[in-house]
Amino acid sequence: MEGLYFYCIKEKTEEHPTFSIKGIDEKGEVFTITFRDVEAVVSKVSLEEFGSSEIQKRSQEDLSWIKEKAVTHEKVIEQAMRKEDKISSLIPMRFGIIFKDEMSLEEELSKDYPKIKSVLENLKGKQEWSIKIYLKDKETFEKLIKEKNETIKEKEKEIASLPEGVAFFMEEELKEIIAKETSKELNNFAEDIFERLKDFSFDLVKGKLLEKELTGKEKPMVLNVSCLILEDRIEDFKKGVEALDQDINTKGFYLEYSGPWPAYNFSVY
Amino acid sequence: MADLLAANKNDNVTLVDALDKVLEKGVVINGDIMIRVADVDLVYLGLRLILTSVSKAEELSGKSFSNPGREFTPDDIAYIQKLQREIKKAEENIPKLIDLGSPKKTEQGLAQLVLTLLELIRKLMEKEAFRRVKRGSLSQAEVQKLGLSLKAVKKKIQEVQAIFGIEDEELNLDLGPLGNLM
Repeated sequence: MEGLYFYCIKEKTEEHPTFSIKGIDEKGEVFTITFRDVEAVVSKVSLEEFGSSEIQKRSQEDLSWIKEKAVTHEKVIEQAMRKEDKISSLIPMRFGIIFKDEMSLEEELSKDYPKIKSVLENLKGKQEWSIKIYLKDKETFEKLIKEKNETIKEKEKEIASLPEGVAFFMEEELKEIIAKETSKELNNFAEDIFERLKDFSFDLVKGKLLEKELTGKEKPMVLNVSCLILEDRIEDFKKGVEALDQDINTKGFYLEYSGPWPAYNFSVY
Repeated sequence: MADLLAANKNDNVTLVDALDKVLEKGVVINGDIMIRVADVDLVYLGLRLILTSVSKAEELSGKSFSNPGREFTPDDIAYIQKLQREIKKAEENIPKLIDLGSPKKTEQGLAQLVLTLLELIRKLMEKEAFRRVKRGSLSQAEVQKLGLSLKAVKKKIQEVQAIFGIEDEELNLDLGPLGNLM
């Protein structure tokens, strides 16, 4: 039996969007199902296959499978979102939602219709962008902390006058103090950046800090923010973010930003 | 993924961004079938170890430290010099190992585990030594020896870290609900 894998909901357009990409199973065509004035983007999948315990197991354990499927999911939504240069707002689904037929999908849409409309309305003329900040150079950041902390400076002086073995104990104590200060200052720093990003954003939300194993970067992530930006302020936003990057560079950080993304963080209903 | 955002080729778009969003965020509605995806962080953290008990640092550090008034003996001085040589050797070796730029990645997992446990024991010893030093029951020579011993062990661990290309932050274990080991 065939079911429908569900990617996203968008406003109905005059001509149906066409998709050059295959669906989540790499076989099914991607198409839209119209419900009143919205469209659900879906593709057919085998219910036996996707309902099987084998798939459930892979989705729990097989990271390369998860990655591949998540990327396909995202690519389909990207195609629904873009038409030539224009970005249209839509509601992206989380990975892994399947309906057994059109009727049960329409039932869900009908039940949530008012909420769907209000989310789509709210997203109109806005784009989601991502900013991730990494600690590039811990030493620079620590140096700035040491310079303004009297306790640390005094301890350092004291250590310099002690024999090596005795100094070791003080050094270790000092390291702990510095580590504590650093983590406190790092929090303050992240809070400060978050506040500054508010100036450019219609809305913004903090995400989880991702492990190095996941980011594939040498440097630790210290802030992960998704911003909802008004379309006519995108240029301001980019300029602001680049200025921010230059500023935080001197403190030992760098940032990466990307977008526009489907509004994953701002379309929950 | 380069074609993902074709209209913004210059933007730095990574697989990570996509995973972060697709698997974590987005709308969840009740379909007939939901594929539950593993918490991606969990997938990466292969090793979870629960250490139920650790013997007391005191037993590990052995010997008794006492007699605050004692002077440096020739033995003390020889020992101190030996430790200082060891520390220096390790300190000189570490940057060379790092410059070599070919850490033994294949054995990294095991080395990481062993070093983590070593680091734990070292820290426990250090804490105990700290307590004794603060209590003031040790002679200057003893404090000097103790400090240098701990420093030597520390430098050795750093040296082995450099050999296997293991970062400081990696010397830890995530114990799940119990938090981090150190």
